[in-house]
Amino acid sequence: MSTLQTSPPAAAATVAGAEPPPRRRRHLLLPYGLLAPAAAVLALVLGYPLVRLVLISLQDYGLRSLFTGAVGWAGLANYLTVLQSPDLGPVLVRSIGFCAALVIGTLVIGLGVALLMGGLGRRMRVAVMFALIAAWAIPNVASTLVWQWLFQPVYGVVNWLLTRVGVFGDLTQRDWTTSAFSAFALVWLLVVWQSVPFVALTLHAGLTQIPRSYYEAAAIDGAGPVRAFTTITLPFLRPILGLVTILSVIWDFTVFNQIWILTQGGPGGQTTTLGIWTFTTAFSKNSFGQGGAIAVVSVVLLVAMTAVYVRRLVRSGEAL
Amino acid sequence: MRIARNTAATLFCVVWLFPVYWMVTTAFKPYGDILSATPRFLPFPFTLDNFVDAVTKSGFLRDLGNSVLITTTVVVTAIAVAFLAATALTRFRFPGRRGFLIGVLVVQMVPVPALVIPLFLSLKSVHLLDTFLGLGLTYVALVLPFTIWTLRGFLQGIPVELEEAAMVDGASRGTVIRRILLPLVLPGIIATSVFAFITAWNDFLFAYVIMKDQSGYTLPVWLVSFSTSTGTDYGGLIAASTLFALPVVVFFALVQRRLVEGMTAGAVKG
Repeated sequence: MSTLQTSPPAAAATVAGAEPPPRRRRHLLLPYGLLAPAAAVLALVLGYPLVRLVLISLQDYGLRSLFTGAVGWAGLANYLTVLQSPDLGPVLVRSIGFCAALVIGTLVIGLGVALLMGGLGRRMRVAVMFALIAAWAIPNVASTLVWQWLFQPVYGVVNWLLTRVGVFGDLTQRDWTTSAFSAFALVWLLVVWQSVPFVALTLHAGLTQIPRSYYEAAAIDGAGPVRAFTTITLPFLRPILGLVTILSVIWDFTVFNQIWILTQGGPGGQTTTLGIWTFTTAFSKNSFGQGGAIAVVSVVLLVAMTAVYVRRLVRSGEAL
Repeated sequence: MRIARNTAATLFCVVWLFPVYWMVTTAFKPYGDILSATPRFLPFPFTLDNFVDAVTKSGFLRDLGNSVLITTTVVVTAIAVAFLAATALTRFRFPGRRGFLIGVLVVQMVPVPALVIPLFLSLKSVHLLDTFLGLGLTYVALVLPFTIWTLRGFLQGIPVELEEAAMVDGASRGTVIRRILLPLVLPGIIATSVFAFITAWNDFLFAYVIMKDQSGYTLPVWLVSFSTSTGTDYGGLIAASTLFALPVVVFFALVQRRLVEGMTAGAVKG
């Protein structure tokens, strides 16, 4: 820390007498030297595995290859197996449907909370922010385990509360993971609970950027709250809303921990999404080639869903 | 209207805070109150038994140590590497600069779970499975795109004239980086450190796949294996989860604002 506080002139004095370095050459190579460690790590740990993923999906990579290192090429056999698998249809429907349900739930609640925050007094708004940040900050493994406890069949507080409400009958023995629908509902509640904070806080930040005078002008012209929302709020919010939607799609399509810890893809594979299917195919059945093929299919699907955004990203990168 | 809004906000707070409240109070409840057919909503009587129970459970302290060791190493390494890269990106113009930036943006879009299979097999072939080096490298790579991007934003805000003045006085580039850039960019370094900390500390998937030997478990893996091996000890499990969440909550409260900005910066400005 002491070096940080030394004043720049003192630093300059110590090197003032030294011979000037061969500046031209160093100038040319220095940026590459500075960039090298980052480039190496990114290329080795993110870039190379992406390429390798495609290669593995074309290989006959099974348990034996894992031990002997001998790998044969399989051509498109893995893809054919995956595409012809009776599991594919249901898994795709589940993955996309569940992702859509999560994105819609998160956005609707998140936008609602963001709009609500704008109309609150200072103290109430701080309370809402506190609740949002608390939910956001809990690591997802911890909150997933808390969920397990909240919805525990015999001693869980949620079943007890629902039973007390009385509309659904006696639910104290209800195990949420025994049917596909309730298992998905369980995971849905958890993921939405965790994802709303980011969406609500980002949208709230966006809403505060809209000049008040626009709403005043609209009110003078006789526009009601609905009209003001559709003609002022929505157009202003559109870029942020688009960004938040895309990020939600990416995150919700790749949800893994919560499903894996709560249901392991069960009951009977009925909550198996693409991520879970990739994982079990590779690590439970030791069929890495097929798992790779499923992962490639998921990446392609995700890229297709977010293509517009990726294009805009690359374009904004070109302007740098 | 105002009453309706406040009611809605109160309802939201109650629903959203309830899981957190239930976690913390469960951790302080005696055994009999946890496993009771009628839940107790207040943590009285109050006990620390669950925490003692969790901390003395086999593996907890060892895995806490693993988590602390790996997380600190990742934070220090990632910040150093990202700082050098961000300096190159903001202080030099060179061929390949724009390509690198686009690469960083695009790499950030890769769905992480898709990388598990090839990373597992690659680490296996270079004998880095079950090593902290293998897991640490993975985490460094995961946090680099965000840290480079954020530090780059901070460095852009520092006028180059400051450095030029020092260089006129004869300071070398190395001295300029150490004595001028580094201190000025400290707030950015703190924000990105917290991000790197949270990513490495919270990760379950990679630790689960890469660290197969129990001696190398990190806390999230310990928590999950504890929940499946002893399904009914919710007191210990929830107390351990609370301890695990605590540092994240503290750090989060400190930099929450910057995280929101950082996550949206890349796209909104484009």
